[in-house]
Parts: sequence; C-alpha cells; structure tokens
Amino acid sequence: MEEGRAERRRRTEAPSCTQGGARRAGIMTDVHRRFLQLLMTHGVLEERGVRRLQKHCYRVHGRTAAVEELEDFINNINSVLESLYIEIKKGATEDDGRPVYALVNLATTPVSKMASDFAENELDLFRKALELIIDSETGFASSTNILNLVDQLKGKKMRKKEAEQVLQKFVQNKWLIEKEGEFTLHSRAILEMEQYIRETYPDAVKTCNICHGLLIQGQSCETCGIRMHLPCVAKYFRSAPEPRCPHCNDYWPHEIPEVFNPDKEREAGTSKANKKPSRSRQH
Amino acid sequence: MPRGQKSKLRARERRSQARGETQGLEGPETTAEAPAGAAAVAAGESPSPACPLSGDRAQTLSAAATSSSPQAAKGRSSPASAGAAVSCANSGESAKSQDEGSQQSSKGTEFSRRDPLNKKVVLLVQFLLQKYQKKEPVTRADMLKYVIKKYKYHFSEILKRASEHMELAFGIDVKEVDPIRHCYALLSKLDLSVDGTMREEENTPKTGILMIVLGVIFMQGNCAQEEEVWEVLNLMGVYSDKKHFIYGEPKKIITEDLVQLKYLEYRQVPNSDPPRYEFLWGPRAHAETSKMRVLEFLAKVHDIVPSAFPAWYEEALRDEEERARARAAARARITAMASARARAMASSSSHTK
Repeated sequence: MEEGRAERRRRTEAPSCTQGGARRAGIMTDVHRRFLQLLMTHGVLEERGVRRLQKHCYRVHGRTAAVEELEDFINNINSVLESLYIEIKKGATEDDGRPVYALVNLATTPVSKMASDFAENELDLFRKALELIIDSETGFASSTNILNLVDQLKGKKMRKKEAEQVLQKFVQNKWLIEKEGEFTLHSRAILEMEQYIRETYPDAVKTCNICHGLLIQGQSCETCGIRMHLPCVAKYFRSAPEPRCPHCNDYWPHEIPEVFNPDKEREAGTSKANKKPSRSRQH
Repeated sequence: MPRGQKSKLRARERRSQARGETQGLEGPETTAEAPAGAAAVAAGESPSPACPLSGDRAQTLSAAATSSSPQAAKGRSSPASAGAAVSCANSGESAKSQDEGSQQSSKGTEFSRRDPLNKKVVLLVQFLLQKYQKKEPVTRADMLKYVIKKYKYHFSEILKRASEHMELAFGIDVKEVDPIRHCYALLSKLDLSVDGTMREEENTPKTGILMIVLGVIFMQGNCAQEEEVWEVLNLMGVYSDKKHFIYGEPKKIITEDLVQLKYLEYRQVPNSDPPRYEFLWGPRAHAETSKMRVLEFLAKVHDIVPSAFPAWYEEALRDEEERARARAAARARITAMASARARAMASSSSHTK
C-alpha cells in the first residue's frame, strides 16, 4: 500500500489525465517551488510583481527560454496544490482593478492565517472592523466607530490606544487598507476571506452586478440599488456615450472611473511606479 | 451558485448565533477547547456549529477537484466532503456553542469514515507552512495540540505524509533536529540566498514614513539628528507641528509610536544642552527589513535605481551578503545537527519514528 518516495515524486511531476479531461495535472519543478515559497512571503502580490517573480525563478534555475505563460504556470501549480486545499487565487484591487494574486487556504476558516499572528482580542477587533465594513454603505468603517467597540472585545482588555496600533498592524500585514482615518478590506483579505464572508454575513454582503464577486467598495444605482465594482463600472461603461444602469436603465449618476490597462503600464516602463494618485494605498 | 432555501435559512441562523460568539476568528489558544465538538465531528456526527464552509462550497470543490496525485487519491472519494470535513473539524473544535443543528453535509461524514487522516495531513501542511513563514521551529507537542489532537496515535503517519507534501509541492524539508524534545526545523531545499529582494519578509515595515526615516538614518551613517529627519520630511509636506492628512500626527508617530513598536530608537544626543535628539534603527527594523530594501524604496520614490547612490548601494550590498552568509550558516548548522542525529539514531537500533 505504501509507495516509495521516489515513485511519488515521479508521479507528481508527470502529467496525467483526470476525470472528464478537466485539467492536466501540473509538472512541479524547483522553478514552481521557488515561486511558491517567494509568493508566500508576500501574502498578496500585484500581477506585475508576480511576473517578475516568475521570470526570476526561471532565471535562477537556468531556464531563460520559454517562460511559460503566467496563466498556465499558475494553473499547473494549482493542480498540484489542489489536494492540499491551497490555491493561488487571482483577484483585483477594488479601487483601480489591478490584478493581484494570493496563496489562499480553501479548506480552513481563512482567518486561521491571521490566527497565528494575532491574539484573541486582536482577532476580535478585526472581526468587529470587518462587520462594520460589510454593513457600511461605502465599504469603509471609521477609526472612531471601530475603536468605540473596544470594550466589547473578547479576551484581554484592550485600550483604545493599543487598538489603534493593532489596526496599523492589520494595515501592515495587508488585511486592511487605511484611507483618511477610515478602514476597508485589503484585496488580500477579500481574496482569502470571500467565502468566509459570504457564509457568515449572507444578508449584509454586497455583490457586484457585473462580475458577481464580493463587493466592499463600489458604485451603486440610486434608483434600483444594484452595485458595481469601480473597475467593473469602468469596463462596462467604457466608451459608452450615456452610461445607464444595466438593471433599471436609469441614468448612471456617478463619474465613470478609468480602466486599468496593463499594457499601457508596461509601455510606460518603470517610470513612476504608481501612475495614478495614490488614493487608497496604504503608506 | 444559487443557494436553496434551507441553506439560506441555516446560514441566517448560523449568522445570528455567530454574532454572539467568536466564530471562526479563534486564536490557536482556543482550539484546544471543546473536545466534545471535535470528537463529534471526527466521528461523523452532526453538530458543527461554526462551520463556514458547507453547501455551495462543497459543490464548488467537487466540481474543481481532480485526483491527480496519489496522496490525494489515497482513500479520498469525495474531495468536496474533504473540504467540508476539514473546515468543520477546524471550526467545530474552536466554537463554544454546541447546540446548533447539523450543518455538516452527509458527504462529510462519509469522507471521514474513509480517510480521516487525510484532512489532518492537509491541516498539518497548512500549520507547517505558517511556522515556516514565521521561521519558527515546530515541536511534536505543538502539532499534537493544535492540529492532530485525537489522532495522536497516528502522528507519525500524518507527519510523514505532510512532510512529503511539503517537499514535493514547496521544496521545504521537515527535519527532526532534536529527537529527545521532538523538535523539528523547516528548511528550504532551495538555496534562498539568490532571491535577494524578491522575497518580502512578513510584517515588513512598509509604511512610507517609516521607510523614509530609516532611509535618512541609513544615509546619515546609521544615526540621524532629529533636525535632519525633519528636513527630509518637510520636503514631502510632512511637518512636526501640522496634522497630516494621511499620517495624522507625524511627530507622535516617529518619536513615540514607532519607537514603542521598536522600529526606531529615539534618544537624546549625549551631553546636549539644550537637549537635542537623534534617531537610530530599532531592533525590529533590523530584523524585519534591510538596508537594501530601504534603499530600493527610496529609489522608487525618486524614480531612480538604487545603484544611483553608489556608496550606500555598496553598503547595502555588503549588508545583504552578510545576511545571506548568516542564513546559510544557520542552515548548515541545523542540517549538520540533523544528519548527525539521524546517523546516531540509525547506528543504534532504537526507533524514534
């Protein structure tokens, strides 16, 4: 019943067919392993960084030719990680639609990743902030409102001053984004916790009318109430002379943001890492 | 995927219950509680109150699942249930309330009967990955307490399978370095010294103002006068006596908050009268970031490359080399220790695994 180690290694590296021909099993080499180790250290990484990482891993292992297409590269890795209920998940930042990637656990309560870094009362603070964010109209919860809940936290008593620092820790660890004293979810949190959020707050959770993904920040129609992510709005109304709500056809009352164009970014080269004014990036 | 009525109702119930409990956001300290819940779940019985994954998720998992690797195929018939069972095991063990109705799908119970070890293997891999990230060694006691729990008699088997996954998927070795205290080290099989700044250390100070200050300190020969720091910050529109729209109270941040967090050291210049103050890197800055990183940050801000500051670039390079050497030495020490013990164990006929 027990197979030899060598045999197992070979199996993982050989392509094989799966039921229904769904996905070809990946070939895991040191290039992929290094990529995974590095990606893990980032928590979440923008697509540009991911590509650099991929190229770096190929270079280190002396294979500069034929760098696999990123999507296939990632699918390969995911097919091997599947049995571990881990995957490299792709999402987008809510404010300007930049594609981001994170290595997420699928099978455990996602905040277990936070659980090892934070104390019980800190995790409860995060949960309180999360609830406020989800219940809010704008997707932001003010620092004041979060701090006012400090007395209700489980675990060791926390003073407001401590709580302020804990919130900064969340920002540093890419779970929250702070913008002018208000907090919203970082794309990392959305990627890692989307399922958990949908399950835990099924009534309060908002979704995008276009992509049907979880929505924290976005624009909403004032007539019928449907919501859309800013990048989804940008894509949907691109070059539309008169933007109208896709649901009720009323005039869309908000300013249409610009679409994030990865090619334009690459052309512009590495000059000015952030072209757009850093609105909601943490500093 | 559209949810049926029952599923919605259950979720709503769960949510109102969850409002009053620490659902899902338990720290490792609390996972040791509620063994009854754990036993029930593991035995495939009903209550699993705080199980965030059910219904739809189970379906999604089965749709996506493929049984490519033999570890996965081993005794696992229904990957969907594996997901549900794993999550329920994890959250059921941490939740305090036991009286909610059964949310666990029947698939979950079926799965645990076939290969309950597999879900422990999955959980152990995730646990080990976290420990690896934090560069902490792992003890058998920890693994038993936080992951394996009632399956402690299967510890060796579970660890063996988890170690294989770690090696094959991530290139990370799980080596027993202390067979008496059962302490394990997690080491990368890949040489990481070549990665340089491709690797982002967890909990790096990324906050701009800190990086700027660290940069000033570095460029002033690793110790900067407070006036010098403010000169640079003023150029960015950050003033000691004005509230900043992003940083709030900058003076408080750099002289109090960041000092308290051990990122900066702020001390009086010896024998200065009237007292003047200077900044140095704090121990946490030394641990969590590096001169090269700070230099790269500053270069990015000024839209140039780090080598445009040749003297500092050289110093930063030397710093990187030193760090890489220290890491390699540590690795070598641990590997040597581990193989020495392994040899010692092999020669004596005692069996530690």
